[in-house]
Amino acid sequence: MNRRLAIKQVLIFAGGMALLPSCLREEGKVSIQLKHLDISATQEKLLAEIAELIIPKTDTPGAKELKLHLFVLKMLDDCYEKQEQESFIKGMNTFEGLAGAELKQKLMEVNAGKPGLPKETGDFYAIMKSRTIGGYLNSKYVMSNLVIWELVPGRYNGYFPVKTA
Amino acid sequence: MSNKQHTYDAIVIGSGISGGWAAKEFTEKGLKTLVLERGRDVKHLIDYPTTNKYPYEFEHRGELTLAIRKENPVVSKCYAFREDAMHFFVKDKEHPYVQEKPFDWIRGYQVGGKSLLWARQTQRWSDLDFEGPLRDDFAVDWPIRYKDLASWYSYVEQFAGISGNKDGLAELPDGDFLPAFPLNAVEDYFKKTLKEKYTGRHVISSRCAHLSQPRQVHFDQGRGKCQNRNLCQRGCPFGGYFSSNASTLPWAAKTGNLTLKPFSVVESVIYDEKLGKASGVRVVDANTKEVTEYFAKVIFVNAAAINTNLILLNSTSSRFPNGLGNDSGVLGKYVAFHNYSARISAEYEGLKEFTTDGRNPSDGGYIPRFRNLLKQETNFKRGYAAGFSAYRSPERDTSGMGTDLKAQLLNKNLGPWQVGSHMMGETIPKKSNYVKLDKDQKDEWGIPLLRISVDYDDNDAKMKKDYLEQLTEMFTEAGFKNIRPNDGAQAPGLDIHEMGGARMGHDPKTSVLNKWNQLHDCKNVFVTDGACMTSTSTQNPSLTYMALTARAVDYAVQQMKKGEL
Repeated sequence: MNRRLAIKQVLIFAGGMALLPSCLREEGKVSIQLKHLDISATQEKLLAEIAELIIPKTDTPGAKELKLHLFVLKMLDDCYEKQEQESFIKGMNTFEGLAGAELKQKLMEVNAGKPGLPKETGDFYAIMKSRTIGGYLNSKYVMSNLVIWELVPGRYNGYFPVKTA
Repeated sequence: MSNKQHTYDAIVIGSGISGGWAAKEFTEKGLKTLVLERGRDVKHLIDYPTTNKYPYEFEHRGELTLAIRKENPVVSKCYAFREDAMHFFVKDKEHPYVQEKPFDWIRGYQVGGKSLLWARQTQRWSDLDFEGPLRDDFAVDWPIRYKDLASWYSYVEQFAGISGNKDGLAELPDGDFLPAFPLNAVEDYFKKTLKEKYTGRHVISSRCAHLSQPRQVHFDQGRGKCQNRNLCQRGCPFGGYFSSNASTLPWAAKTGNLTLKPFSVVESVIYDEKLGKASGVRVVDANTKEVTEYFAKVIFVNAAAINTNLILLNSTSSRFPNGLGNDSGVLGKYVAFHNYSARISAEYEGLKEFTTDGRNPSDGGYIPRFRNLLKQETNFKRGYAAGFSAYRSPERDTSGMGTDLKAQLLNKNLGPWQVGSHMMGETIPKKSNYVKLDKDQKDEWGIPLLRISVDYDDNDAKMKKDYLEQLTEMFTEAGFKNIRPNDGAQAPGLDIHEMGGARMGHDPKTSVLNKWNQLHDCKNVFVTDGACMTSTSTQNPSLTYMALTARAVDYAVQQMKKGEL
């Protein structure tokens, strides 16, 4: 067993995603192990920015800090058809070179469903947004601090009073 | 090894819900019992690798990867086949079968079988069910009635632990219950609505195999109170629900009379022409493919309905050229199931001062069969039971982005109550719904592949239409809004309630088993899993398999003492 495989297996064994440290990866490539997708470090950075614009840092962590863009890539890599993956990449490329206010402006247009945008842009955004949201709500941080998920509730109340504002 | 070392008092084929019960009963009565399981061992607590994982500890947060879905088009349709429990399901490629008609055969090949995965709903049958075929002129008459099974229902309920209310309904006899999980505000409201607007339509707390308040007999099994996790399909670290793994098998092991052999694929039951009865079983080792024979005075076939048919059909001899105990020619035929193919959902704007807290492991409410209950009154035979449940979740508008979206995702403002129901329809057993052996193709273990030919019929279509109409009307009466009937066309099999093929009956010419679940024509072989079912009625079947098994073991042991077997 080579070292990379060994580390990967230890990480899988420890539970959760196998997030490989970037030192084990080629220069200029994405920081996680992907089976099908070919993503560059620049593209990863772009996705991190887009995710952060979807769910920004406030007084609680945002998408970047929770590494939600890596979760999006993991899901895209493992759970989607080749055709959907290609369309995602094409759509992502329509944001290439954009940053800051420009990127935000473009993303707001896409989010609002502005007419005349390439189909792939919409396809990309649909996956990007839904997976960022899913990753956020299912993140350890949110489930432990904001919308608590209990492993052992130990109770059921069918008439739990709701506080009305 | 000599035959002596391979000889037991009883052999049980299968370790699922009914096999586990056979093992418990035989070993408690002092019989040296061999339980053969074709899959791997799954030890309670030890072999539940995902049981304490949080959602974010799953690589894909519970979702199936594309590769898994593509390799497993059948089992991927099952609601419980997700990242947290997929290790307890048979993968399509590993165990192929031939679908003459679409049939989603969902299987669990491991110690405990599907008892690890079942939905844990447990209702007794009444005579309105047992008398169904006779009254409505289909299948054959059941050779038993409620009085034959009532005390056995109590017996298995006490040990397994069944939560429920004494509802006093003739169509759903009360049992020996632990406290029920309560209905919530809207489930209760719907119950009251039906009581006011209809005669004979009820919503009750679902009766389920969960320890709401364990008794000493449950603590003695090493089980504890259900902790409302609703992660049952992973195996329960508290033993909060009934499974062979948590309950009957460890109990049987404690007697010192149990030998459990995983990786033992039963090829056939061996018929001894001279003795005129079965002498044992032929087993193929799942891994080495080595063939071994084991011998016993009595054999219980509890391989799960369809595989029990397969084993009997494959057990040929010059006395039984068409399968063991198949003089009648009905073995493999009259297979039936439950029609789960329709559901309906809606919203309710009232009772907003309440929500739920924690989780209800019972699934909420249950509507017992009300159609054609006491007499024929529709254009279809028999009827359906239905689930009914209600819940609220936060209202989240995800159309925006940025801080607005984030605030929406974290808001705790609850939306209206969501309500839903699904049908559980009785299907009529027919000769044309059958399983049989493929003449040419064999599996890795040299056993013929099974061909499955099971389909819905016109009666099912009419019944489904009625269910959607009636539930729409009942929802309307309750003031539910946005009512959405859903004729979700799913193939038979996905209900995981396949039954029959080796049905019970009075007459050896038209049935395979007698009133003691004993092969008419080979008295030391018994079938007490789903294969024995003469008709399906609408109740979830497992509780009835448990009761039939305990009763049949009791009878078999009495007969053995008399020297009859």
